Amino acid sequence: MADNNRPHFPNVTLIIAVMLIVFTALALFVIRWANISKTTPPVLATLPDFTFTSHENKPFGLADMKGKISVVDFIFTNCHGPCPIMAVNMGELYRDFASTDKVQFVSISVDPERDTPAVLKEYALQKGVDAPPRWIFLNAPLDDVIWLTEKGFLLPAEDLPGNHTTKFVLVDQLGQIRGYFDGTDGDLMRVIKEQIKMIAREMP
Amino acid sequence: MKGFVRLAFIATLWTYLVIFLGGLVRVSGAGLGCPDWPQCFGRWFPPTNVSQLPPDMDPSLFNFALAWIEYINRLAGMTLGLVIAAVAVWGIVRYRKIPSLWIPSVLAGLTVAFLGWQGGQVIEQELHPLIVSVHMGLALFLASLMVYITVRSFRIESGGYNPSLQAAPMRYRVAILWFLAMTQMVFGARIRGGIETLAEQFPLLNAGALLSKVGGIAHLHYFIGAIILVAAVILVPWVLKSDSSRSPLVRQSAMGILHAGITQIILGSILVIAGIPQLMQLLHLWFAAIFIGLIVMTFASLSYIKEGAYGR
Repeated sequence: MADNNRPHFPNVTLIIAVMLIVFTALALFVIRWANISKTTPPVLATLPDFTFTSHENKPFGLADMKGKISVVDFIFTNCHGPCPIMAVNMGELYRDFASTDKVQFVSISVDPERDTPAVLKEYALQKGVDAPPRWIFLNAPLDDVIWLTEKGFLLPAEDLPGNHTTKFVLVDQLGQIRGYFDGTDGDLMRVIKEQIKMIAREMP
Repeated sequence: MKGFVRLAFIATLWTYLVIFLGGLVRVSGAGLGCPDWPQCFGRWFPPTNVSQLPPDMDPSLFNFALAWIEYINRLAGMTLGLVIAAVAVWGIVRYRKIPSLWIPSVLAGLTVAFLGWQGGQVIEQELHPLIVSVHMGLALFLASLMVYITVRSFRIESGGYNPSLQAAPMRYRVAILWFLAMTQMVFGARIRGGIETLAEQFPLLNAGALLSKVGGIAHLHYFIGAIILVAAVILVPWVLKSDSSRSPLVRQSAMGILHAGITQIILGSILVIAGIPQLMQLLHLWFAAIFIGLIVMTFASLSYIKEGAYGR
């Protein structure tokens, strides 16, 4: 008969159950972390030097992209096709990274005649972009935009502005392209976020 | 629990943690997270940044996550080595007149030291499947020793409190189950090794497809699994019936064998059906250690202790 005065051995079933729960939670996290780390986005290309004009009427170019992770897209303010969805998705990312200045968002206008810096500034205000801006809207002569799109971002730039690319381009802190994402697909924003986090680990 | 028993108990829990971490290294593919040994990228503390790598090391080898997963396993293993060394020394000194305790204490000390060295070989041989299997086998042997030391010392310290005489011979049958389970573990580890070897021949096949190519050894593993389950289902009620003293230690460990055995079969089946998901592989490995530990616990709680041998 069990004697209450005798020391009891701990309840092993309980210990195993607790360890199992804690370990499973830990494992789920670690395995996911490891799997993500093994798919760190490769370097696809390096951007050429360029200088455009920001919605604050200041020069903005490659030098301003270095040291920060950038998500770049191509838009025009008068666009009623895919742009509103792209703007929603970009806005979501913009808010998600509100706590850090390591990540910035760059929207390049493909309709520079109409989208003067003043128009872009108005548009930025509409999108709730405050100062100092983490979301920058760029203007440059159409030929320069085409050149940067095709030669720099390796994306098509025919029949602008109507037929502009809907890709979001992920650029790292060294001005290197690390990924392309369909900017109209909201589900992909989660992937971009993960990849931004991964690339951020490479930063000092 | 206090004194030696408490330390042995903590060391046993720590052993199970390290077995879990080792399995985690395995399933997350972090085995070569630190390509050198015992240091990690030539540092005692893994680099946090590519810029900290020594110039002769290829930065593309560096993966922050994998380096840290591997490093934490090493750190936990090293700590375990120290804790078990303390158990061994204390055990040898305290129980120098009780061979059933000082011998396992010596063995545990030697095993953990050898495991540490052998862990270096795992890296040196770049995760050769056979060497990885030996590493795991040794770890389960160490877990067995630690469980035995803990339960045996608990029973001695709590005053020669024995199961009924009819129950004591049951421990030999339990020992057979232990051998079966250890053999089963070896075959399980060989399946994993087989999958890795095949993966090099068939780089595009996933783990599930590779498993179906492993063949003979996999079928043997399923077959022995069924035998072990049947053996446990027969043996556990038999043990419980024979122990008319209704020792709580015997009861909880014997029932544990049954529960862990069934869990193992379920986890193993999920591996086959779902194509070896990483988490399930890890749990299957860890529960093998739990299953073997519970067998040893039952064995140790059935073993006879001479009245007044050391009780206090």
